[in-house]
Amino acid sequence: MRLLAVGGVIAYRALFNWTTPSMFVGTLLVGPLFQLLFFAYLGRQLGVADDSFYIVGNAVLAASTACVFGGTMAVSNERRFGTLGHVLLSPRPRTLVFLGRAIPYAGNGLLIAAFSLVVGSALLGLRVPLAAVPGLAVTLAVGALSCAFFGLTLGALGLRFRDVWLVSNVSVSLLLLLTGVNVPADHLPGWMRVVGGGLPITHSAEAARRLVDGDGFGAALPSLSKEAAVGAAYAVTAALLLKVFEAESRRRASLDTL
Amino acid sequence: MALAIEARDLRRTYRTRTGWLNPRRLELDAVRGVDLDVRRGELFGLLGPNGAGKTTTIKMLNTLLIPTSGSARVCGFDVVSQTREVRRRIGYVFGGDRGLYDRLSALDNLRYFAELYGVPAARQKRRIGELLELVGLTGRERERVEGYSRGMRQRLHIARGLLHEPEVLFLDEPSIGVDPVAARELRNTVAGLAATGTTVLLTTHYMAEAEELCDRIAVIAGGEIQALGTPDELKHHAEGRRVLEVQAFGVSDAQLARIDGLPGVREASVDVVGTAQLVTVQSDATVDVQADVLRLLDGVRLGRVTARQPTLEDAYVAIVGRSPVGAAA
Repeated sequence: MRLLAVGGVIAYRALFNWTTPSMFVGTLLVGPLFQLLFFAYLGRQLGVADDSFYIVGNAVLAASTACVFGGTMAVSNERRFGTLGHVLLSPRPRTLVFLGRAIPYAGNGLLIAAFSLVVGSALLGLRVPLAAVPGLAVTLAVGALSCAFFGLTLGALGLRFRDVWLVSNVSVSLLLLLTGVNVPADHLPGWMRVVGGGLPITHSAEAARRLVDGDGFGAALPSLSKEAAVGAAYAVTAALLLKVFEAESRRRASLDTL
Repeated sequence: MALAIEARDLRRTYRTRTGWLNPRRLELDAVRGVDLDVRRGELFGLLGPNGAGKTTTIKMLNTLLIPTSGSARVCGFDVVSQTREVRRRIGYVFGGDRGLYDRLSALDNLRYFAELYGVPAARQKRRIGELLELVGLTGRERERVEGYSRGMRQRLHIARGLLHEPEVLFLDEPSIGVDPVAARELRNTVAGLAATGTTVLLTTHYMAEAEELCDRIAVIAGGEIQALGTPDELKHHAEGRRVLEVQAFGVSDAQLARIDGLPGVREASVDVVGTAQLVTVQSDATVDVQADVLRLLDGVRLGRVTARQPTLEDAYVAIVGRSPVGAAA
């Protein structure tokens, strides 16, 4: 547990690029808030959906920048610092070492999502039922964790491919398009809906909307369970990829570990 | 005899592919049949020119690379199939600026690797304190590593490598780029480790460092061990030779080639030392080439001219020069 918790937090401080106050506030708080406002006003203009749709959707999505890029940094920045070899020489289980790194990013994502929801609601006049708050906290946390494991999966690709940032950039755009936070899912072509169903955020955004609509936790639970399943699938995928690519690096010398 | 490291016919071939439309496959035999026995508590040196296979050998021994063929055991455990057991018992230190988390302090770097290397929580604080004291970083441990000098980073590398009290420590060119004072401190630290019974496998380019520290030395070139023995034993490889050193300013490659071609000359090389060049000529002990060398350097401004007995460095040059790689160069 120490490796998971203490190790994860130290690795976060070592590897996350946006920990300075200016970067954190600018990139992770202000940026997503403006994105929320942009889509809310665009939605008003086009009459596609009401403010609640965009505020809740974009608040859940706000966690993705920290989680997706954080997860990528958690592995790829090891190359940058030349520390990967020393990490791989650890006799401790890789699953604990790397999956533990996702937890601080998920915490970070939860904070950003909560901030976006509170400030977005205050600015646009959305009233969130008090009874929905505990459920919303759980939903945002599950969405952020799922997203962090998705980011870690992309980071694992960084053990094999040098230009993994390209994949992260594209993935963030795909989340914007396919998760139904800004374009209602029933407006998307069928194949996009299928792809979106396999991405993080999609189901937690749906669950959060149910909670804000006052449907109760029971109504949100099926979507929340799907989000948890998606997150678990990415956690398993990340662990497998890390194992496979590490083994390949020893066999083929495909990794400049030092 | 208890062995810390055993390698038998260790080989590693790198295979690369370049180009997409017309791919070209390249194969490079980096290590070609290395046999090595390092006793427990021994300080063993692995010397060789760039590209000789030193780092590849170390990476196979420390489990980062799988040998193409052959076998190796560290503390009795196979480096391919018993990686976790090997990793518990080894430390790895390499030279250079990288390999540390720059944004963290030395203390946090050590805390993190203490977790990774399985140092029990109850012992971490004391162990980190001991190591900071050992490498002389006490008082600076809360500063970010990005502000450290190369010597300080190098000492932190050593502290990190020793966190879990490894039985075998691999030191891959630890003093590269370090100033003379820091290099001496490093040597003292390494000598101290060997005195406590830690087995050390050291690779270095610096002969004086190897001669001062190592119980035995293997010279590797072209991926093969060319010679192995104590520093005194290795010096015999330069027996029957004499060495002439000429301080000069402006020796051309053509002049050096002519010196190399003189009758009785075994090797001729030139190194830049400060603003001057140092021409070193190894010749048969029975042949005095001084007059011929000075004649060929006619027109070049010369400084001190010295004739001396061969050193370990001369022996190293002789060994590498005799190897297929050295002979081809």
